[in-house]
Amino acid sequence: MIQEGPSSVTSSPLQFFPWMSLSPGLGSPFPWLRELKSEERGLCLIHLLVACANHVAAGSLENANIGLEQISHLASPDGDTMQRIAAYFTEALADRMLKAWPGLHKALNSTKISSVSDEILVKKLFFELCPFLKLAYIITNQAIVEAMEGEKMVHIIDLDSSEPAQWINLFQTFSARPEGPPHLRITGIHEQKEVLEQMALRLTEEAEKLDIPFQFNPIVCKLENLDLENLRVKTGEALAVSSVLQLHSLLATDDEMLRRNINSPSISRNLNTNLSHRVLQMNHRTLGEWLERDPVHIYSPSSSDLPSPSSPLSLAPAPRIGSFLNALRALSPKVIVVTEQESNHNGATLMDRVMEALNFYAALFDCLQSTVSRAQVERQKVEKMLFGEEIKNIIACEGLERRDRHEKLEKWILRLELAGFGRVPLSYHGMLQAGRLLQSNNYDGYKIKEENGCLVMCWQERALYSISAWGFRRYD
Amino acid sequence: MGELENSSSMAVSTASGEASASSSGNQIQGTQLVAEGGPPKKKRNLPGMPDPDAEVIALSPKTLLATNRFVCEICNKGFQRDQNLQLHRRGHNLPWKLRQRISKEIRKRVYVCPEPSCVHHNPARALGDLTGIKKHFCRKHGEKKWKCERCSKKYAVQSDWKAHMKTCGTREYKCDCGTIFSRRDSFITHRAFCDALAEESARAQTLTVSNTEGNMNVNGNGNGKSIVGAGGGGGAATSPPPQPLTPSTTSVVSPGLSIQSSEMPENTMGLSPPITPAATSAPSTSSSNVFASIFAPQTQQSKMPAPASSILQSAAAPLERTSLSLSSPLYLSNNGSSIFTGPEHDHCHYAPSAQPAMSATALLQKAAQMGAAASNPSLLRGLGLAVSSSPSAAGPDPNVKAESSSVAAGLGLGLPLNGSSSGLNTHHHHHHPMIGSSSLFGNKPTTLDLLGLGIADHGGASPNGLSAFLTSFGGGFNVGAATSSYPAGGNSPRDTWEGAAERKPNGPAML
Repeated sequence: MIQEGPSSVTSSPLQFFPWMSLSPGLGSPFPWLRELKSEERGLCLIHLLVACANHVAAGSLENANIGLEQISHLASPDGDTMQRIAAYFTEALADRMLKAWPGLHKALNSTKISSVSDEILVKKLFFELCPFLKLAYIITNQAIVEAMEGEKMVHIIDLDSSEPAQWINLFQTFSARPEGPPHLRITGIHEQKEVLEQMALRLTEEAEKLDIPFQFNPIVCKLENLDLENLRVKTGEALAVSSVLQLHSLLATDDEMLRRNINSPSISRNLNTNLSHRVLQMNHRTLGEWLERDPVHIYSPSSSDLPSPSSPLSLAPAPRIGSFLNALRALSPKVIVVTEQESNHNGATLMDRVMEALNFYAALFDCLQSTVSRAQVERQKVEKMLFGEEIKNIIACEGLERRDRHEKLEKWILRLELAGFGRVPLSYHGMLQAGRLLQSNNYDGYKIKEENGCLVMCWQERALYSISAWGFRRYD
Repeated sequence: MGELENSSSMAVSTASGEASASSSGNQIQGTQLVAEGGPPKKKRNLPGMPDPDAEVIALSPKTLLATNRFVCEICNKGFQRDQNLQLHRRGHNLPWKLRQRISKEIRKRVYVCPEPSCVHHNPARALGDLTGIKKHFCRKHGEKKWKCERCSKKYAVQSDWKAHMKTCGTREYKCDCGTIFSRRDSFITHRAFCDALAEESARAQTLTVSNTEGNMNVNGNGNGKSIVGAGGGGGAATSPPPQPLTPSTTSVVSPGLSIQSSEMPENTMGLSPPITPAATSAPSTSSSNVFASIFAPQTQQSKMPAPASSILQSAAAPLERTSLSLSSPLYLSNNGSSIFTGPEHDHCHYAPSAQPAMSATALLQKAAQMGAAASNPSLLRGLGLAVSSSPSAAGPDPNVKAESSSVAAGLGLGLPLNGSSSGLNTHHHHHHPMIGSSSLFGNKPTTLDLLGLGIADHGGASPNGLSAFLTSFGGGFNVGAATSSYPAGGNSPRDTWEGAAERKPNGPAML
C-alpha cells in the first residue's frame, strides 16, 4: 500500500530528489517540508547539519553540497531558533568548503565592506540585550575593588576597551570608598582609534564629575601585537588587568606547523599526566623560561589521534598565550580577571568543534530569543554579525586565522596556573550584586553559579561564560 | 516705507468702507495694506475669521517670507524681532514724544494667504497668526527644501522637518510581514488583519499544491479537491469547506469535514505552512509590549536602587540612540548605557516549555537521545528496542549536554551514511514515517494537542518512523518518496498529520 503513489516518485533508494522533476513554478520543490512543525523541522535540521558537517570534515564536497542544498530549504535567518542557527552554521560550513578553492574564496570576499561602526554597534547591542557582559563587568569591578583595598594608585589594563559603562561603574564604586577614590589610570587597548577616543571622552567626563583623579591611556593595536613592556607601568602602582572575552584569541596558532614540530607524542603525553603536580612544584620563573623556550613540549599534540576534549590535562599548544601570560606576570599585577566563553571550540577536529559550537550557540540563540522579541532587527544583527562571525571563524578557519578558540574554564585554569598565577576566589559580594542585577531587570532564565571560587554564567543550566580572578602566586 | 511699495503689488484697494478694514496709514511697522474681500463681514464666528473687527492684512509672498519684518522707521534697518528693533531705536535718541511706538493700538490682525487659489486668500478665512500664515504659505505653496535623510520625506518648513527628524525611525512598529508603521494604532490594526491575510495566501498556496498532487480521497471519493478542502486544515476553519466540492460528494464528505473542522479549528491554524502567522501571534503581542516598553518615555523600569547613580539609568535611550544615530558615530554612548539597566524584553513569553517552537538546546538534547537510541546498525530492531525508553519525555540519557563525544555518537544517526542504504530499503516497509514521528513527538502534550492525536494508541510501530525518517535524510532523502507514496489520505502531508486522528480507525488497515 505504501508503495503506491504518484508515478513521478519511485521507491528506489538511489533516486535522490525525485520531486525535483516537479515544476519549479510550485515554489519550493519540497512543499511538504513547509508542513513540518517546528520541532520536527528542528530535528531534521540538526541531523542534516551533522551529516553535512561530517561530509565536510571527510572532504566529500559533493555530498556536503547536497546536504547544504537540503538544509537551505529548511533553514532561514528569519525563522525560529533552530532555523537561524542552521542558517549560520551552513554559512560557516560553506565558507569552509569554499576555501578548498582559495582563488574563488578570495574573489568572493574581496569586495566585502566591513563596517567598523557596525561592529561597534553590534557589540553595544550585545551588551545591552544580554546581561552577560554587564555581569562580567560587575564581577570584574568587584574583584578589582577588593584587590585594591587601601591602594592609593591603581592602574588598570583593559584588554578590550570599548564599553565605557564598565569603568563608570568602577568609578562610582571607587568614589564611594571610605578612604576616597584612588588615583586611577586606565590603559585601554583596542584596534580602532575612534573607539578609544570615545572611551577617553566618556571616562574623563565621568571621572571629573565624580572628582576622581583619572588618566586614560589609549593603545591602538591588536592584542597579539601588544607589547606589554610599553605599557609604562609605574612603580608603586597597583596593577589590575581586565580581560573580557579576549584571551582566547591568543590561542590562535599555526596548528599545522606545530603538529609537524612535535617529535615524540608519547613523551608529551607522559608529561601531561603529571602536569599539575609539576606545575606546583616548579619554581615559576624557571617554568616561565622553560615555557618560552620550548612551549610545545609541555602540551600534548593536537593531532587527531589524541582525544582532545576528553583528557582534561591536555592543552592545545599555543606559544603566544604562554609568552603573553608570562609578560603579564612580569608586571606583577595584583589581580587579573578573566572572562571567557565556557565551551570548547578549540578542538582539533572539525566535528568536535561543530558539536560543541552547536550546543553552545543553541543556548546563546535561545537566550537571545527569550530576551528579545523575535522580529527585532537588532537581534538579527547580533546573531549575524556577532555570533555568526564567531561561528564562521570556529568552523571555517584554521590556523592563525581561527581566533575564536574558546576553551573551558578548566583549561584556562591550567594555563594560568602554568604561567604562574594563583587563583583569587571571587567574593560572594560580587555574586550577590550580579544576582541583584539579574533580578532587578527581570532577566529570566539566567543563573550564576559558583565553582571553586570562579563564577559561571548560565542560561537555563547551560554554562555560557566563566569568570575567574587570578593573582600573583607566592610560593611559601 | 519701502515695503509698503512692495506690498502694493498685492494691494487690494479698499473700495468699500467696511468697518473691519480700517487703514491706519501712518507708520505702523511692517507692511500693512488693508484689504478686504468680497463677502461683507456679516458672518461672524466663521472659522478662520473669529473676530470680524480684526484687521485683515495681506502680505506679498516676498514680504511674508522676509526675515526682517521689523523695520526701523528712522534708518530703515530691518530686524527679525520686535524687541531687537526697539533696542535699536533707543540708539537713535528719539525725543520723548516720538519715543512711543506710534499708533499703539494693538489691533487684532489677521492675515490672508497671498496665493489666489488658496482658500485662505479669502479674508473670511484669514488666519490669525503671522507665523501661522507664513508656515501655511510655505507648506502649501512653497518649495520643499528640507529633506529627511532617513526616509526622504520633504518639508518646506524647517520646524516641520526638525519635528520629523526627532521621530523618524524611532517609533517603528514592524509587522512580521515586513510592513513598517510609525503609528501604534495603525500597526495594531494591521497586525490584526495581517494574520488573516497571510493565512489566506498560505491556504491558497497549499490548495494549489495539493491539487496538483492529485491524490486519492480517503473515503474512496475520487475527488481530490474534497480532501484538499478537508486536509487544508489550516484553512478549514476559515474557508468554507463545500467550496471546492462538487455537489455529488458533498453529502459524503461533509460529515468528515465537519468533524475535522470542529475538532481543530483553532489548532490547525497553528499548522498552516508558514508557521509564522501562528507563531507570531504570540510574539507579536509581546513585540508590541516590547515596543511599548522600549518607547515608554524614559520611565525607569529597573527597580533596583543600584549603586550606579541615576545618570546611568536611562531605560530605552541606549537602544534608541544606537539605532537612530547611524549617521553619527555609533559609539557615542552619551548618558547611555549603564551596567545596571536592563533591556526591555518581553518577560515571560518565551518560557521554553510554552513556546510554540522548542528551544534549540532542547532540540539538540532530543536529537541526541534519539540518535543514541538508534545507534544500533539494524535500524528496525534497534528502534524497536528503543521505543519503550524514548517515549518518556525525560529521556534515559542524561548525558546529553556538552560532552562532545557522546553527542557525536548520539548523533551517530548522521554518521553511518553509507551504510544506511539498506536501512532505506527497509523503511519502505515502515508504517507511516510521518505519523510515527508525530506520535513520537506526541510526548509533548502541547504538540499533541495541536495535532489532536492520541499518543498511546500509536504504540510500537510508530516511533520507528521518526528515526527512519531522519535517517533517510542522512542517507538519501527518500522521505519524499515515502511521503508521496502515501496511501489513502496522504494527499497533502499536512493532511497526514492532522488526519492522523482520523486515520486511527483505518490504522490497522494501513499497518
